[in-house]
Amino acid sequence: MSEYFRKYIKKEHYANHYSNLKFKTSFRNCILEAFKRRLWKETDGDDWDIMWAEKEWIHEVMDHTHLQSNQKINHFRNHYELTRKDLMIKNFKRYKKNLEREGKNEEANNYNFFPLTFHLPSEYPIFFEEFKRQSNNGDTKTAWIMKPIGKSQGKGIFIFNKIQQISQWKNTLRYNQDNPQAEAYIVQKYIADPLLIGGKKFDMRIYLLCTSYQPLTLYLYRTGFARFTHHRYDNEDISNTYVHLTNVAIQKTSDNYDEKLGGKWNLQTLKLYLMTKYGQEKVAETFYNIQMLMIRSLQAVQKIIINDKHCFELYGFDILLDAQLKPWLLEVNASPSMTSNTPVDFELKCGLLDDVFTIIDLEKVLTGNEEQIGGFDLICKGTPIKLPINSTFTTYLGAFNNRQQQLKKIAKSTAIRLAQTYQEGQTKAIEVGSKGQKEKEEKDKQMRSSSKGPQVMQNGVNGSIKTTNQSKQNTIVKRNTTNLPALGTVQNKSNIKRYPLQNAGQQSQPIQQSQSNSSKKNNPNEDSMLSANQKLQKLTQESKINQFQPYKQQSQYNDVMGMGSRNLQKNEE
Amino acid sequence: MQQLDNQEILMKLKSSKQFWDIKKKLKQGLGDQQKIGVNDIQKFAQSCEIEDQLTKLISHILRKSKKRESLKEDQIEFLNTSKIKWTELLFKNLDIVHQKTKNQEEDDTNTDSKLYIYDEKNLLAFLQTFKQQQQSIALYQNVQFQSNKLLNVNIPLKSSQSILDKYQYLLLQEELQDDKINKIRKQIENEHIDIELEKIAQTFVPNGERCLLYLKYFEFDHQETVLQQNFAKLQKECSNQLFYDELLEIDGHEISEDTFYFVFQEQILTCLKCFIRDRTIKENIRIQLQNGVKKEHAEFQLPVTGFFPFKNISKYVAPLCYLSTKIHIIYALFKEFFCRYFCFLHAISSENNSILSLCMQIEEIVSTRSPKLFHHLKVIGCDTLKLIIHQLVYCFIGDMDPPHILTIYDSIIGHDSLEILVILCVGFLNKYKPKLLLAKNQENVQQIFSELREDRFQELVQFAYKQ
Repeated sequence: MSEYFRKYIKKEHYANHYSNLKFKTSFRNCILEAFKRRLWKETDGDDWDIMWAEKEWIHEVMDHTHLQSNQKINHFRNHYELTRKDLMIKNFKRYKKNLEREGKNEEANNYNFFPLTFHLPSEYPIFFEEFKRQSNNGDTKTAWIMKPIGKSQGKGIFIFNKIQQISQWKNTLRYNQDNPQAEAYIVQKYIADPLLIGGKKFDMRIYLLCTSYQPLTLYLYRTGFARFTHHRYDNEDISNTYVHLTNVAIQKTSDNYDEKLGGKWNLQTLKLYLMTKYGQEKVAETFYNIQMLMIRSLQAVQKIIINDKHCFELYGFDILLDAQLKPWLLEVNASPSMTSNTPVDFELKCGLLDDVFTIIDLEKVLTGNEEQIGGFDLICKGTPIKLPINSTFTTYLGAFNNRQQQLKKIAKSTAIRLAQTYQEGQTKAIEVGSKGQKEKEEKDKQMRSSSKGPQVMQNGVNGSIKTTNQSKQNTIVKRNTTNLPALGTVQNKSNIKRYPLQNAGQQSQPIQQSQSNSSKKNNPNEDSMLSANQKLQKLTQESKINQFQPYKQQSQYNDVMGMGSRNLQKNEE
Repeated sequence: MQQLDNQEILMKLKSSKQFWDIKKKLKQGLGDQQKIGVNDIQKFAQSCEIEDQLTKLISHILRKSKKRESLKEDQIEFLNTSKIKWTELLFKNLDIVHQKTKNQEEDDTNTDSKLYIYDEKNLLAFLQTFKQQQQSIALYQNVQFQSNKLLNVNIPLKSSQSILDKYQYLLLQEELQDDKINKIRKQIENEHIDIELEKIAQTFVPNGERCLLYLKYFEFDHQETVLQQNFAKLQKECSNQLFYDELLEIDGHEISEDTFYFVFQEQILTCLKCFIRDRTIKENIRIQLQNGVKKEHAEFQLPVTGFFPFKNISKYVAPLCYLSTKIHIIYALFKEFFCRYFCFLHAISSENNSILSLCMQIEEIVSTRSPKLFHHLKVIGCDTLKLIIHQLVYCFIGDMDPPHILTIYDSIIGHDSLEILVILCVGFLNKYKPKLLLAKNQENVQQIFSELREDRFQELVQFAYKQ
């Protein structure tokens, strides 16, 4: 958790201290709580560093607003290309065709994770032909599902298997005079053989974070949910939405909905259950296919979405497994619900958001090369990331979420790295400072001598413009070292940024001290610096962070799966 | 007692991996000789200790073929008397429950739905009476009154140190690599002898193979049709409504509040309804829970199982739902687990696995290894046993995630004993020891356990051995 970062990283080592960061949001659920837990300040004005906005804000305001370089926002401008049901399918179909045109048939064939879909009313004739074709083939039981394009939470969805039922919809909704602008729908072939557990249908909600579309950078959250219907699945009874729709918003209205329970399973639990029936290999393959499905979905819109360094997006993928364990993409949500219905759910979502904020790294403490941050695993950076061949895992999706331990480790390593950089910066500053002093003295000498004769003065002007500039630079550096501590060289711009002005006073003293030491010896602090570095190296070795460790050993596998590994595990302090 | 003939012994032998290993060894050893006589085999077998191995294997098969009879009488007389008392008490509870249900039918506003004949607290309270009834020393001559422990009955008890030693291997288990796991998988597939299966269960059971291991251990692996038929028969019987069905439904509703098991509510209820109608349980159960005397003039008698359904009985079925999608298999596994092991958790007996023994062992370990905690809990009026009785009686179901519960089940099978629960309960107390020591009253203690917490099998084992 971010609290580990606060615990291990010294205030002066932050590039951008958390107490300076401001957030803005209109949400009052887990989002607000997660923001507050990071000790960021809320603002109503435009001076925010991060904004968790509603989708509408993006459409209405973002195009007319100039964002500062440090500002981050939780949606891409045209995210609807992926998150609106009709556009998503359109983009997938287009991408698939392009792949076929390019002769990449194998990859094109992988785009088979969405059901047969038509846009209504524009594609009604084609849909009608398809419907008739299926009926003629004697397949009268095939059900179709109608979904309004712009609605969420299962609103307006219905299932039908007779064309009369859709004529009725046409009359009441589409061609009703009172409702001339009736919304567009998509109609999809209904997946009639979903995998059932305890006789109940379920779908999965999986979280994917995209921090950039160029290069495509994706982080997959280990924990997700399986959301169950409250009634036994019945293929025949297509009118009962409680049987077919898993949306919490729908299930909540069911008579026997249990608030406390929420009708959800953790993906880890689901994985365990599936293993008993299908075996470990098959389940691993399924979860890998889910991961690839998500990467492919984003690859399909990668060139369409306007990439913006200010934007990131947390997607909620809704995925259904059929009886053969094939994953089907139902929908991608740009604003997955961050409202919790149980205490466990609350903690999970706050943790998820906290990890999102850590990855966004407003404090600028991470390297950007981390392969796991909290519960998120990097699954794509330009190209999909492949796990080592000898790894027991094909994907960490549904694996044990070791975010607490991982954050602790990463916070420790980051603290060590930042401390190292800080010290190096200090040493360089001292060196530059003493060098600058010497050069200044030399320059003074030169000046004094040049004032003695015009020849020398000429040499100085013609022959050493560079030197003058350099010495000028050094003068600036020197001046800075007295005000801003630990500035390495002027070239090290990132280091300039890392040290806020407010800390300058605290830092100036030791530097002055070391400066005075440096005048006594060439490098008097060398020994102590070495020993400090050695210590840091030792610490780094101990913490072994940022190293991707494949789960070669069963104990590690069990640890990830959350099983008792039966090995001697030292308890984390 | 059922006796096996030679042919049957040979058949059983052939189903063991060990038998084929021995045969292979013999073949290799005698491979060069052209004529092999019985004497040669005998000599070679003696020299390689094969004979010993075979003898052990055969005696194991013979021992296994003996049908264990249900323990009706205890060797300690006062426990038999107590059992009668306990049964009478439960009959009284049954009357109250019946009356309550009647009242509920008449008055819809009465929403007291938590109806049960007894729960773990009732059971512990009854066990406590052994110590309290000081007057009738003649009857309770085995009870020691001087002790500060909640239970201290003079029954033959296994030393707690030996239990700790027995399970210490869990701490030092070697890491398992992929090839080793595959080997275990193959072993489960090929092995039939329970002593070998126990060895596997003691160490590591891959998730996908657990069901097969349990089925083999209970010798159900080739009987799926029989299991299915028996279950179908019981399901038919369920059409006749029993009074106990209502109690089971209430109980099933409680399990539906558990995040991990709500999906299986229907299966669990079906299993339990069949269970209380199963006549074979009475003969298969290892210990009689209540003394099966019929109560005269009572409206309801004991179910055909010979004991009353109790609160949270559905907890024992729930984790097994993760093992198979077939309900007859879930039922068969539940029945075996209950008849072999869980019945002891509800039995008033001096047996090693009984609730009395387990409780006393926990008290013994905690009082000797964590005396500070033991006394602190006593001072604040929240005895050690009262804290862990729920976890003990229900095998941590509901307190740990299913993978960990199934590891407990593995361990129970692996050692043919419930002693692992003693280790886990001690570990559980040790884990929360720092917080418990700060608690000033029972409310504080309750608060500690009402917070979100996550307990794990391995973690509790480690805490159990932590000094």
